[in-house]
Amino acid sequence: MLTIKNLSARIGDKQILNNINIELDRGKCLLVTGQNGAGKSTLLHAIMGRPDIITTGDIHLDNLELHNIECHERSQAGVFMAHQSPPTIDGVNTMTLFKEIHKVQNIVGTTGELIKLTKSLFNCIGLPEGWEKRPFNNGASGGERKKNELAQVALLKNKTKLLLLDEPDSGLEQSSRQKIIDLIQETKNQNGCVLLVTHDKELQELYKDNQLDLSNA
Amino acid sequence: MRKVYLDAESVDFMIVPTKDLEFVFIQTEGKCTAKINLKPERNSKFKVKIYIYAEGSSEVDCVCTLIVPKEVSGVETDIQIRSWPFDKSKIKARPEMFIANSNIIATHGNALGTLKAEDKYYLASRGVSDYKELIKQSLLNA
Repeated sequence: MLTIKNLSARIGDKQILNNINIELDRGKCLLVTGQNGAGKSTLLHAIMGRPDIITTGDIHLDNLELHNIECHERSQAGVFMAHQSPPTIDGVNTMTLFKEIHKVQNIVGTTGELIKLTKSLFNCIGLPEGWEKRPFNNGASGGERKKNELAQVALLKNKTKLLLLDEPDSGLEQSSRQKIIDLIQETKNQNGCVLLVTHDKELQELYKDNQLDLSNA
Repeated sequence: MRKVYLDAESVDFMIVPTKDLEFVFIQTEGKCTAKINLKPERNSKFKVKIYIYAEGSSEVDCVCTLIVPKEVSGVETDIQIRSWPFDKSKIKARPEMFIANSNIIATHGNALGTLKAEDKYYLASRGVSDYKELIKQSLLNA
C-alpha cells in the first residue's frame, strides 16, 4: 500500500506541492490530474526521489519509508518510473544498461536469457532492429524514447510494487495505447500500485474512478 | 574499424582512412600518450570517433591529427572526441587539422565531462548508482 502524508515539495525557492495526502491500496491505479504546472510530474519525481526536489512529509510503500532512502534504493525496492522526457545518455550502451538493471534489480536468469528477453521486448514494442546496440536513446524520436520506457516497465513488471507513469502516451501512436493499458493491468494483477499522469482523454476516462486533482495543490 | 586500448602507455600511428574509425581508450592507471595521425587519400569519406575513459589518478594525452596535402582533394570527414575523466584523472584531448586543399569538408568536436545530473537521476531511477562502471562496460562492450 502507498501512503503519502503531508507531502510538500519545492525546487529551489519555488514551492510546488503543499500537504498532499494519498492512500492507495495494492492493485489500484490513481489518475493524477491538473492543469500544466500543477505539480503532477513533480509529485511522481518526489516519490521517485529526484535529488533536486526538496520534500517534507512521509512516503511509505507498505512498511518501507521511501522518504528516508536514496533514489536508487527506492528503485531497488520496487518503485519504477517511466519518465516523461527520458534523456539521451552519452556513452551508455543500451544493452549494457539493461544488463546492469538486470544485475542491480536481482532479476533471475542468465545473461543470454536477458539478451534474448530484451531483444524480444524491443521487437514486441516496435523499436527498430539493432536498438540494443545503440547508445542509450541516441538519435531516438520522442515515440521511440517512450517505447524504450515501456520496454523497461515490461522488463521489471514482476518486481514493480509502485509504477509511476508520467505521460506514457505522449508521442506514441494510437496503437501503442493498448500496451500501456496492458502494463497497468499486469502491475495491478500482481498487487502493484500505479500512479498515472496523462492528458489522453481515453486513458483518463478508463481510470477516472480513482482520481487526484492537483489543480489547487 | 574499432580498436580498444586498455591501460596503454604509448600509441602512435599513421593511418590512411578508407572507412569509419572508432578508438576507445580505457585508462585505469598510469599515463597514456596517444598520437593518431590521419592521412586520407583523394575523395575519401570517413568519420572518426575517439572515446576516452580515465579513472583513479590516471592520465591520457591524446591528439588526433588530420593531414591533407595540397594535391589531395574531395575529402569529407568528421572527427569527434568524447572524454570522461572520473576521480582525480586527467584527460587532455584535441583534434588538429592541417589542410592545404580548399576542396575539403572537415569538421570536428571535442566534449569532456562526466554524466549530467539529469542522467545520473535517470540511472538512479533504474537502481543504478555505479556510473563509472556502466560507462566503462559500455565502451568495452559496445
